[in-house]
Amino acid sequence: MTEVKVKKESTDPVDIENRIKELCLQFPHGITDQVIQNDMPHVEVQQRAMAINRLLSVGQLDLLKNSNGLLYRLKDAQSASKVKGSDNQEKLVYQIIEDAGNKGIWTRDIRYKSNLPLTEINKILKNLESKKLIKAVKSVAASKKKVYMLYNLQPDRSVTGGAWYSDQDFESEFVEVLNQQCFKFLQSKAEAARDSKQSPMVQRNSSFATSHEVWKYICELGISKVDLSMEDIETILNTLIFDGKVEMTIIAAKEGTVGSVDGQMKLYRGVNPIIQPTGLVKIPCGLCPVFDDCHEGGEISPSNCVYMAEWLDF
Amino acid sequence: MTTQEVRLCGLLLQEHFGNVVEKVGTHLIRSGVLTLRALAHETKLPLDLVKKSLCVLVQHGMCTFGAGRRGPAGPVEYRINCEHVFHMLRYPRYIYTAKSLYGDTGELIVEEILQRGHMTMSSTVKTVADRLTHNMPEGQSMDYSEVVSVFSQLVETHFLQRCPPLASAGSSSSGAVDTPLPVATQPTEPESHPDCYKLPYINLTGQGKRRRSSEDGEADQCCGDDDGIYWQVNFQRFHLHFRDQAIISAVSCKLDQSSSEIVRTMLRMSEVTTPAHAAFTQALSANEIFRALLSSYNIARPILDQYLSLLVDDPMEFVGKTGDSGGGMYVVNLHRALANLARATLESVVQERFGSRSARIFRLLLRKRHLEQKQVEDFAMIPAKEAKDMLYKLLSENLVQLQEIPKTPDYAPSRTFYLYTVNQLPTARLLLQHCYKTVGNLIERRLYETKENKRLLEKSQRIEAILASLQATGAEAAQLTEVEEMITVPERQQLESLRHHINKLDSSENQVDETIFLLKSYINSTQASL
Repeated sequence: MTEVKVKKESTDPVDIENRIKELCLQFPHGITDQVIQNDMPHVEVQQRAMAINRLLSVGQLDLLKNSNGLLYRLKDAQSASKVKGSDNQEKLVYQIIEDAGNKGIWTRDIRYKSNLPLTEINKILKNLESKKLIKAVKSVAASKKKVYMLYNLQPDRSVTGGAWYSDQDFESEFVEVLNQQCFKFLQSKAEAARDSKQSPMVQRNSSFATSHEVWKYICELGISKVDLSMEDIETILNTLIFDGKVEMTIIAAKEGTVGSVDGQMKLYRGVNPIIQPTGLVKIPCGLCPVFDDCHEGGEISPSNCVYMAEWLDF
Repeated sequence: MTTQEVRLCGLLLQEHFGNVVEKVGTHLIRSGVLTLRALAHETKLPLDLVKKSLCVLVQHGMCTFGAGRRGPAGPVEYRINCEHVFHMLRYPRYIYTAKSLYGDTGELIVEEILQRGHMTMSSTVKTVADRLTHNMPEGQSMDYSEVVSVFSQLVETHFLQRCPPLASAGSSSSGAVDTPLPVATQPTEPESHPDCYKLPYINLTGQGKRRRSSEDGEADQCCGDDDGIYWQVNFQRFHLHFRDQAIISAVSCKLDQSSSEIVRTMLRMSEVTTPAHAAFTQALSANEIFRALLSSYNIARPILDQYLSLLVDDPMEFVGKTGDSGGGMYVVNLHRALANLARATLESVVQERFGSRSARIFRLLLRKRHLEQKQVEDFAMIPAKEAKDMLYKLLSENLVQLQEIPKTPDYAPSRTFYLYTVNQLPTARLLLQHCYKTVGNLIERRLYETKENKRLLEKSQRIEAILASLQATGAEAAQLTEVEEMITVPERQQLESLRHHINKLDSSENQVDETIFLLKSYINSTQASL
């Protein structure tokens, strides 16, 4: 009878750790306690726990929680080196901030996720900031709110507001200037087309400008300190549409022609309003702020209306 | 009837017909339908005064009568047509249109008929000829035939129409059987009468008589051949004309002159063939349009095709293409054009009243229907604080509405979406009421100004009468200057400014009336399509 030799696995702690690391490499998404148990059934719970804790403290293993239970994942060697020297709490906070990506995360959210008290969080945040690992960015939506993100990340557009915000202030004059410049460009194009006295179809087509052309014109004007993309110019042109000064059509364009996006091009054209200011607004009553309070015999009435008196003497 | 409409009707009736008619009229508007006896009892006026006022109103087509609730055997009930009363605001515009289309003769014909309500053709022709002769230099006089030709032109283009015949119960002269009265709720449409636009065959020869001040000014009441055939102004036709004019001017503003001429031609061709409340004109082929174009415009056939396709492609959609036969069948989109004009009116009111940034927000909401606060700020590129301020201002004036969409069954504010929206039709109605109130204000101000300076006006009238009589009897220059100096210089200035004020108020009534017309046409067009 041959003895089935059961090879006794060494219960060397280092071996256990190495084995766990190998398992992590095998399953990059993380391994549960169950997996380790299945692989090394002879290892006792205590030894296993000790090994895992050691790996965690050294910073080579990540502890994650999912719906089924705890997951262990091998940490990146790079990021492992960064937080060397910081204690567990700091590592945890750093982890949370890193996960938030370039949208950043608010202190209250950090507190929820880490379950640490507020004072601790603040201390850790100050620490990390001094180590130049994270930075605070003021959000444009709520000016008192500060979000934290990793130091070398570019903040997302939703936080800084994009090209129209500089230092959390909406640059209305900048937008106004761009607005007027675009409108002037389109208007002059339309006038040139009208004066050319060619057949009406050609006239209308030459009065159109693509969004790419407008973008190039604005870039060449050089009135913007910030680089503007074509989408930015299109938002400016949209405001001109809402002002009723410009109309837009979309045509199909061959993929690859300059300025086309997804096989379409947007064309813009300056237009005139279709009616003159209407009759009602030529009367003071049409613009009167106290119109609803005015009736005959009252304090405010047509007979003693000050606005009307001024307007009649005009 | 809203308060403002009743107020305006009262003011108009008082101005044109006097206090008694105003009292009767406003009471009848407020009560809806009333019998004669109830009306006399409630207004506490003597019966014959009430009868006379009702006569005046019926003569002008503002009041209709018919069998009441108790059936044909019961007393007759009367009701007032408010729309007709508002047409009085527009009389200057009708007269001006007639003048521009048919010259002075047309102007006078329309003016006479508007003043009298209903008139026979012969009496109209005589009166107009007399008036024209009066203004002509000595020795000339107006021939009846010219007036008749202009009259028939007006009838051909449907600007004048016959009054619908009223079955006269108990009249034996025409030998008609007692026909039942039309029910008060269904007034007979003038166009349902087959002879609506048929000219009576009458023999009118003669010339206008110059009325001398020494002669007896009584016009002879000769019985014409067309007794009983009364003519009235076809308001609907005038309105269609105004609507066409508005569309043409909008096209010429948006595109260019030639496109507007093409649209004018298209509208002219379908003037009498398109029913009044149609959404589109009759389909016209490009060949027909080309033939109908006046040669003075000098538009070649391929150019015409290009213009037509440009008109069809325009985002305002004034013209649509319905087919390809005959070189392409085109229609003018009337309802859509009216909606665009009404929208432009709303936008211009917001722009003038609240500024161009608020107008930007308003247009944005009109296009995109429902938006959240944050989205409004982003699209309009206005800083958050200012955008919020403007939105709340518009909301308080009821030009913008708020739509709540809850996430949870309890409408907890933190868990509800609040969307801003603009509805074009209710906003148009709101503005229409504003317009009625404004016109009422203007009329009241005018009456007030006149009343304030009554003494001065009377004095100046007396002086003018004295001057005229002195001149007629051949006075010396010294006497004339003496009389003129009875009005002092500051008084003269005051009179001047008063005249200026009254003119301004008058002309501004007409301007507001233009807005009223656009908004009312738009509202009617949406109702017709329902």
